[in-house]
Amino acid sequence: MTTIDKFEFPDELYYTKEHIWARVEGNVATIGISQFGAELAGEIVYVEIPMVGREVKQGEPFMSMESGKWVGRVKAPISGKIVEANEEIEWESTLVNEDPYGQGWLAKIEMADASQLDSVLRADSKEFAAMIAADREKYDK
Amino acid sequence: MKLYHLKHVPWLDSQLLYHAMPRVGLEGILILAPAEPYVCIGFHQDLMQDVDVAYCQEHDIPIFRREVGGGAVYLDGNQIFYQIVVHKDNPIAHGDKARFYERLLQPVAEAYDDLGVPARYRPINDIITTAGRKISGNGAATIGDYVILVGNLIADFDYESMAHVLRVPDEKFRDKIFKSMRQNLTTLKRETGRMPEWDEMTKPLLARFEKVLGPLEPAALPHAVREKAKALKPLFLSEEWLHKKGRRRPGRDVKIAAGVNVIQRLHKAPGGLLRATIEVKGDRLTSVSLSGDFFAYPEEAISKLESALSGASLEQVESIATDFYGHGGIETPGVTTEDWLKVLVG
Repeated sequence: MTTIDKFEFPDELYYTKEHIWARVEGNVATIGISQFGAELAGEIVYVEIPMVGREVKQGEPFMSMESGKWVGRVKAPISGKIVEANEEIEWESTLVNEDPYGQGWLAKIEMADASQLDSVLRADSKEFAAMIAADREKYDK
Repeated sequence: MKLYHLKHVPWLDSQLLYHAMPRVGLEGILILAPAEPYVCIGFHQDLMQDVDVAYCQEHDIPIFRREVGGGAVYLDGNQIFYQIVVHKDNPIAHGDKARFYERLLQPVAEAYDDLGVPARYRPINDIITTAGRKISGNGAATIGDYVILVGNLIADFDYESMAHVLRVPDEKFRDKIFKSMRQNLTTLKRETGRMPEWDEMTKPLLARFEKVLGPLEPAALPHAVREKAKALKPLFLSEEWLHKKGRRRPGRDVKIAAGVNVIQRLHKAPGGLLRATIEVKGDRLTSVSLSGDFFAYPEEAISKLESALSGASLEQVESIATDFYGHGGIETPGVTTEDWLKVLVG
C-alpha cells in the first residue's frame, strides 16, 4: 500500500491521471475511483452506471457522477466491453466515497488489449507520486 | 477573459452556446437570458418522473436536458444567466469544488449587495439573502478539459409556472411546492419592490466578476461556437437524449433550496397505505400532511399527530409517534410507530 498523507493507494492497482483505478483479474479489469479522486469529487449523490455490453475506449468518458450539482465524467482506463456494473452504487452512491477500493467499485471491463495498461501508472512509481503532488497543490488537498 | 454579452437570445441558444464552447476549446463568460420560457432538467434526472411533460406540451413549453447537475427549473427572460467556461488548467478552476463555487459565487452575492439586496454565499453552491432565502440557482460540470459554472441573477420568478411544470403525485403536493418556493426562494423584485433593468443588474455583476476573472473584454461570439451549437442541436433535442435513463427514486422529492425539500413518501403497512407529504428544512419537519387508506380512531387523531410532528426534528419523530399511541384511546389497526417512521423519516 502506498500512502500519501491521508490518501491510500493499493500497490496492486493501476491508476489513471483522472484518478480511476483498475484491478486486473484474468482478462477483466474492475475499475473504480481512487480515495483521492473521491475526495476531489466531494460527496457523490448519484452515479449513472453504464449498460452491460457497452464498448468503451481508453481515455473516453463512459459513465458519470454528480456531487453538489456538479456533473463529472468517468473516463475508461482501458478499452473493452462492460461485463458488469455495480448496481448497488446507483442506489447507494456514498459507497464510492466510503469504500472506493471495495464496495464502491464502478464497473468491470473485459479488456480488448491488456497491454494498454502499460501506459497507466502504478502507485509505487515516481511519476505517480509527482502526479498526486501536482494535483494536491492544484486542488488544495 | 472574453465577455460574450448577448442579452436575450432564442431559448435553445441559452443552453447550446455554453455546451458548445468547451467543444471548440474556448474559454469565456456568456451573459444572456432566454427570450422564451422553457424547462431545463439536470443531467441525471428522469424526465418522466420529474417533469409534467403533458403540461409542458399543452402550453408549448420546450424541455432541455443540460449536461450540468441539479434539478428541473423553469427558466425565462426575467432571469439573467452567467455561464463561465474555463480550462481545467486555468487557476480559476483550481482548488476543490467548494473553492471553485466560492470563488465564482462570492462576486454574485456581492452584486446582489450592490443591487440593494444583502446576500451571501452559502456552501456549496447557494446564494442566500439575510433572511436565508435562496436568490440564485447554480450548477457546474466538467465537459472535456473544461469546467463550467452556470447560474442566474433572478429579477423575477414565475412560481406558478414552476410549480406546474413539475410532475407531482397530487395537487396537494403541488400546492406545498408552490408555498415552499414562495417561502424559501426570493427575487430582486420581491426584495426591492421593483423590477430592475438589464444594465442595472449586469453592471455590478460584471464589475464583481472582473475582480476574480480579470478584465472582461467584450467580444462577438465566434462563428465556430455558433456552428458547434448548431451541430449539437439534433443530439440535445433528440428523444433519446431527453428520455435518457435518469435517477429514479421511490416517492417524490423536490428540492426547493439547499436543505429544503418537499417530499412525498408512500408505505404499505399491514393496515393500509400510508402517504406522508412533508416539508423538511435542515433536520426539521416544517410541515406534515398524512393520509392514506388506513383506519384511525378517533378520526381527528391523525390531525393531532400532524400537529405534533410539525416543527419537530427528525430525531424526535420516533418519540412523538410512540407518545401518540402511549396515551391510549388511539387505534390504527395494522399501522405502528415503525410504519410512521418509514413514511416520515424514510
